[in-house]
Amino acid sequence: MIRLVKSARVAAMVGVLALSGAALAGCGSSASGGSSTSSAGGGTYTWWDPYPQHDASSDWTKRVEACGVAAGVTIKRTAYDTTALTNQALLSAQEGTAPDIILLDNPAVSTLADTGMLNTTESLGLDTSGIDPNLLAAGVIDNKTYGIPIGANTLALYYNKTILDAAGVDPSTIKDWASLNDALAKVKAAGKKGISFAGIGTEEGSFQFLPWFWGAGAKLTKLDSPQATAALTLWTDWLSKGYAPNSVITNSQNTTWEEFLTGTFAFDENGTWQVNSAAKASFPTGVIQIPAENGGAAPAPTGGEFLTMPVQKDTARYTTTKKIVECMTTTAGQVKTATTFAYYIPPTAAGQAQLLSQDPSLKPWVDAVKAAKGRTSDNLGTKYPKISQAMWTAVQKALSGELSPTAALAQAQQAAVKATS
Amino acid sequence: MRATQTPPVGSPGTPGREAAITSPPGPGPRPAGRRIRSTQWAAVAFAAPLLVYLVAFYAFPLYRNIELSVHDYTIRAFVQGNAKFVGLSNYADIVSSQTFLPALRNTALFTLVSIAFQYAIGLGLAVFFRNNFRLSGVLRGMFLIPWLLPLIVSASTWSWMLNSDSGIVNSVLQAFGIGQINWLTSPGMALVSVIIANIWLGIPFNLVILYSGLQNISPDIDEAAALDGAGGWKRFWHITFPLLRPVSAITLLLGLIYTLKVVDVIWIMTTGGPGDVSTTLAVWSYREAFGTGQPAFSPASAVGNLLILIALVFGIVYLYLQRRQEES
Amino acid sequence: MTARPRAWKTALGVFFTAVMLFPVYWMVNVSFTQTKDMRADPPHWFPWDPTTEGYRAVFHQQLPALGTSLLIGLGSVLLTLVIAAPAGYALSKLRLRGTRPLNFLLLVAQMIPAVVMAMGFYAIYLRLGWLDTVVGLIVADSTVAVPFGVLLFTTFMSGIPEELIHAAKIDGAGTWRTFRSIVLPVSRNSIVTVSLFAFLWAWSDFVFASTLDRNGAMIPITLGIYKYIGNNTTEWNSIMAAAVVASVPASVLLVLAQRYVAAGVTAGAIKD
Repeated sequence: MIRLVKSARVAAMVGVLALSGAALAGCGSSASGGSSTSSAGGGTYTWWDPYPQHDASSDWTKRVEACGVAAGVTIKRTAYDTTALTNQALLSAQEGTAPDIILLDNPAVSTLADTGMLNTTESLGLDTSGIDPNLLAAGVIDNKTYGIPIGANTLALYYNKTILDAAGVDPSTIKDWASLNDALAKVKAAGKKGISFAGIGTEEGSFQFLPWFWGAGAKLTKLDSPQATAALTLWTDWLSKGYAPNSVITNSQNTTWEEFLTGTFAFDENGTWQVNSAAKASFPTGVIQIPAENGGAAPAPTGGEFLTMPVQKDTARYTTTKKIVECMTTTAGQVKTATTFAYYIPPTAAGQAQLLSQDPSLKPWVDAVKAAKGRTSDNLGTKYPKISQAMWTAVQKALSGELSPTAALAQAQQAAVKATS
Repeated sequence: MRATQTPPVGSPGTPGREAAITSPPGPGPRPAGRRIRSTQWAAVAFAAPLLVYLVAFYAFPLYRNIELSVHDYTIRAFVQGNAKFVGLSNYADIVSSQTFLPALRNTALFTLVSIAFQYAIGLGLAVFFRNNFRLSGVLRGMFLIPWLLPLIVSASTWSWMLNSDSGIVNSVLQAFGIGQINWLTSPGMALVSVIIANIWLGIPFNLVILYSGLQNISPDIDEAAALDGAGGWKRFWHITFPLLRPVSAITLLLGLIYTLKVVDVIWIMTTGGPGDVSTTLAVWSYREAFGTGQPAFSPASAVGNLLILIALVFGIVYLYLQRRQEES
Repeated sequence: MTARPRAWKTALGVFFTAVMLFPVYWMVNVSFTQTKDMRADPPHWFPWDPTTEGYRAVFHQQLPALGTSLLIGLGSVLLTLVIAAPAGYALSKLRLRGTRPLNFLLLVAQMIPAVVMAMGFYAIYLRLGWLDTVVGLIVADSTVAVPFGVLLFTTFMSGIPEELIHAAKIDGAGTWRTFRSIVLPVSRNSIVTVSLFAFLWAWSDFVFASTLDRNGAMIPITLGIYKYIGNNTTEWNSIMAAAVVASVPASVLLVLAQRYVAAGVTAGAIKD
């Protein structure tokens, strides 16, 4: 085609094509391995995880590989984006090419377990008795356990110490919603912005709303309870009183953190993964747990990945798989995972104690994780995503003022019942 | 000219800003029958890549889409391919959904208001640029720029301009004593905001088409009327505008068909929110399938197929109009 | 008309253009604004204290994405031409049977929403393993351009005088050689037009990229910008710099080939 068109412009295009060929080659080298085809025999074990940001030379890869060496095999690690990982996992299971180990985002465990592609920890002889039950719960369906958490993260309230000091607020006095509201009122009176959070219409919005929702005593099976309304009203009041900016309606957790880092907000609801970033902020920061309505720490949702072991044709592989999993989940291993990522709290009491002895400042996070709750727990499993969608829609409608919290939640309950029936 | 070829280039604010051309002329006067037969094999060979392409990359995806809409595809079933056949229940679900009526209303508002303003402004500018003043050609060329930019570029620029706290629009309004308007996050303004951006995107297309339509109206007619003493406005309204009617009709219909499909502008600016207040059918379909991280392909494809039906109705009106114009 | 009203019209024209292009100006302005001035009140109307940090970030992070977009654009152009040009010839000159229904199908094809096509392609690509691949995106993007290309070629080629083709036949040229050495060179303008639009559409595509290539190692620039928006919302200078850079190739291409486009556009635009 190109040959036929004798035009200088097309010639230029061909030049461009050659250039882009070079660009392609450049990209090719950085591309990840694509789908790993089979759980190759011999001494190679396959491992998938959702951390594409950690490349082959990262500490994380080295750590995974080291556990392979300890078990006498080579581990081939492939990373996918969280959603892609679920798809790839299901696909590979269908084709009989599932990897030996998948590190899976916790709400996805029930989705995969539901297809029968995962071994239970019991059948592999793995001991889960040391794991905190609230953290293990996301992997438990009908009393069977399908994975082991390598660590957990959750939400808490970061605060800007400079602003609180100026407003005369002592963060340690914030124990319930009333005292939090008082603090916000003082901050506002001092001319600063109160709190930022992520109310975006995605799973992140539900994730951020859950501590308040659960903290009021509401249950995911009944989105329109008075407790749920109280939680949503708390949020809408913050907007109407000017404690929270209008941007929370579209804020993702990243965005709200960026807002907090500008130094104009007293509080920000965010996760364990911001610990390092908070330490580097241009102002002193601190962390308190999200208060429940009537005092005490609200259960925040857990984030974090589970080690899962897909069913293999060659069951002899399980012995080595078990060794690798155990290597990753020893107390020392968990603490190492925690520090590698800087945002994981070990899921066992022993691991938490050891982490705290290394870094006592993580205490609020360890407490938060202990109080936390899996989103798919209460045996909700695969129903959770549908309920969550109804919930974040209600949050959006209420925050934007389209509907009252009561009306929005009534609609949400209707939608959730319809979607899960 | 033998070809009746309407809007040659792209259309306003659409995903790929697809262009459309109306049907090309049919085969000319047929020569002797023998020659037809002798070239028929060659014709098939030349058209074969297209036929294969249409089957593989149009018919098959559409078939898959219909299939998705009559099964219950969960993520699991999607991969394993063992989804349950559920007949039309996905369609029943979407029609009875809380999102359906708002989405239908928003689709109608978004489409009709967008094209009405695009057309009116485009026509006004076309008439204005018809006067050959200094720089008119250059300025008209510059008007094409919004049309050239990738939609994500325009949409993200607009969303920054309309940002509640730091956007330039609110800052200007505040200078005039108008308080902060939450363009993208309030239920009253979100749809208005995406419509404004979409009108901006569609003006160049309307301008180009209507301008060339005006160029084809003989200036003699206008001059004759002017000699008869008709004023500028009267001449436009009684002479130019009626003569432009066929071009107008097709511009509007094409705008309609394409605006129905718009996803990216809305998705980038508001993701259809807050809640559902700026959700159109196309955005709804996109959100269900790809927007939440929890793909629900079955309802999404049902919404999509509904959208195809609506587009087809207007498409057929368009074809009818166009054929009538060809015949006249 | 005297000169004065005309000058007045020029002024008005400049004003209209300025209003219309303000968002474009704003994009460029913001791309040079320092992060600390981004949320300044009142906003900076002109980047008096410009920074290139946005552009540096873009060239540091988005260069591969620009390459990918270029590759996808060119791939889409090639695929479109290879399919549309012979088909246009068959439809216009070879008296293919069933031309009318085929034309009708091509028109209908242009009315199908991209999001619907995206779902169908997703389902198919998942099986084929074409998700997150450049080839997959090239094919998907070409579906926008192929019907347009076929219809444009058909219209143009039916305007080629029969005598020209007949003369080639008399010289003993077969159908393929006639196509190659007579029809294609004559259709140069429409080839440029079709290529240009196929390229622009592929370059600007967001719907297919965000659905079929969301986890790819090679993402196009539109998706690069989209991910930018999701991740660093205080660095609007980087986002806008990426937007400016993404707009440049499309604009340059149009300026270079404007003659061809103008010819293609106005020739077929309106019935005489």
